[in-house]
Amino acid sequence: MPPILEIKNVSKHFGGLAANSDVSFDVGLGEIVGLIGPNGAGKTTLFNCITGYYPPTKGDVLFKGARINGLQPDAVCRLGMVRTWQKVRPLAKMTVLDNVMVGALARTHSLTVARQVAREQLRVVRLEHRTSFLAGGLPIGERKKLEVARALATRPEMLLLDEVMGGLNQAESEEIILLILDLKKLGLTQVVIEHDMKAIMRLSDRLVVLNSGEKLAEGPPREVATNKDVVTAYLGEAVDA
Amino acid sequence: MRALLRSLRLPRGYSTPAFLAYLAVILLVALVPQVSRKPLILHMWIMVFLAIAQGSAWNVVGGYAGQYSVGHAAYFGMGAYITMLLLELFQVAPWYGILVAVAGSVVLSLIIGTITFRLRGPYFVLASISMAEIIRLAALHFKDVTRGAEGILLNSIPPLETPWFVVKFLGKVPFFYASLGLAVIIISVNWLVQHSKLGYTFQAIREDQDAAHSLGINPTLHKNLALMISAAFTASAGGLFALYVRFIDPNIAFGIDVSVQAVLICIIGGIGTILGPVVGSVVLVLLSETLRNPKWLVQAGLMGDESTTVAFIEAHLSNAHVLFYGVLVVVVVLFAPDGFLGLLRDATNRVKKRAAARRPPPSQPAPAAE
Repeated sequence: MPPILEIKNVSKHFGGLAANSDVSFDVGLGEIVGLIGPNGAGKTTLFNCITGYYPPTKGDVLFKGARINGLQPDAVCRLGMVRTWQKVRPLAKMTVLDNVMVGALARTHSLTVARQVAREQLRVVRLEHRTSFLAGGLPIGERKKLEVARALATRPEMLLLDEVMGGLNQAESEEIILLILDLKKLGLTQVVIEHDMKAIMRLSDRLVVLNSGEKLAEGPPREVATNKDVVTAYLGEAVDA
Repeated sequence: MRALLRSLRLPRGYSTPAFLAYLAVILLVALVPQVSRKPLILHMWIMVFLAIAQGSAWNVVGGYAGQYSVGHAAYFGMGAYITMLLLELFQVAPWYGILVAVAGSVVLSLIIGTITFRLRGPYFVLASISMAEIIRLAALHFKDVTRGAEGILLNSIPPLETPWFVVKFLGKVPFFYASLGLAVIIISVNWLVQHSKLGYTFQAIREDQDAAHSLGINPTLHKNLALMISAAFTASAGGLFALYVRFIDPNIAFGIDVSVQAVLICIIGGIGTILGPVVGSVVLVLLSETLRNPKWLVQAGLMGDESTTVAFIEAHLSNAHVLFYGVLVVVVVLFAPDGFLGLLRDATNRVKKRAAARRPPPSQPAPAAE
């Protein structure tokens, strides 16, 4: 699989704090990569560095072979990479349809086309019954779906999902998992941050583990789950009897 | 009133009945000078039109893009001063001078936007106030150019000569049509903004700038764009205002009252709607003009010559309009956060809901109001 995203020695420092240090990995075309790690491991910071919210202190991010660090988020979006937010950000006083239209308008100047794309995406995430509701009034599960629909409406080649299943119940999570797998079948590359280990093991082709800003391990889910360092990072050192 | 109600429910996109209603209202209003030419009545209309122009212009950046600039006096004053100075110093006819004034204000808005749009929320508001104050103080200080606190008094306005007709700016009627035209243009611009990609972009930035940024919107560019549109029309309102009152000084043109008025008009009427500034202008102008000069009520035939109300207002409330503004804003913010227009919309929704309740219940819950 040719890499669509290459992360090369990315470091991000906030003053003396190293939120990411020297993280490198590739994401192959059409692949789902799970990004896991304990709280504060630097997962969201890495997302912010990749999508242009922070410039990395050191290192490079290459998307489709071109260097994109230093680009603004809107330029990154237009190149075909879009992210969702851990803390959902609905455009509260706009309707659900208008929210998704804003995403669709990244690729078109026509409101009619955007409306069509938006309706289509709402069908994909099964939100069509909420079309004319105000986004601010949706329950959390539907807000997360809206977040995904809006991102998809920008017609990305790569989707970064930041804890889309956080705060959802079992049934809702299952729906999102199936959605992510469907999108994979359509050829969409995805990087998924998730805390639910069962979900992430099922979804990911590969796992990348971050801990205190550093890459701890990388590989197929089974391997990573039994990796001694990873277990230690999550559960602590084994105590000798 | 029915036209107003109908356009409240204007669907996204073009709607023939609403458009016809809009045209009909414009035509009706345009007939006013044929019915009555009493100066005070026409004065009231002109003040309302200028307020609509000012409020609707602010609405583009404040209402749609959500950037609450309280420094629009900078553009209003710039429009007024450039128009007046070109006329006084270089005898440039104001109808071309206003175009120069608009261009000047757009340039100014780019400079101010570049500086202030780095800030968000309350910090942006404070920065915008200080920008306008800097310009006001500069206008007071650089007497050689602006004549400082002495102000500029206009003697006569050259007629507007076109190949087809000549307009002499004597009396209030020409100003009535000029300000009506300006108000109509700015309301239409608001409509265009709301029903275009630009409107979606502006509103997305208003709702959540970071989310908008991740969806391919360049917030800096679009906030500046909104401010440019807003500044251009605020400047034309300023230019027309200066020509109408024939006297400006830095406090009249660049004073914080001007900035606050633009915001108040929108808050009272309904921020981020097309008709909000219209409603707000009517309320605010009626209130302030009545308190400042209640005689217009007599001229309009609403009150008798001997009316005790008029006498009472003249004697006791003539300087209280600022107090009334304050009270009105508190009441609106507390009880009608979406302005008078919001109240009206809620009322129509309630009536509709009650009507729907009488019918058998629908299979799906009613969608939220737009």
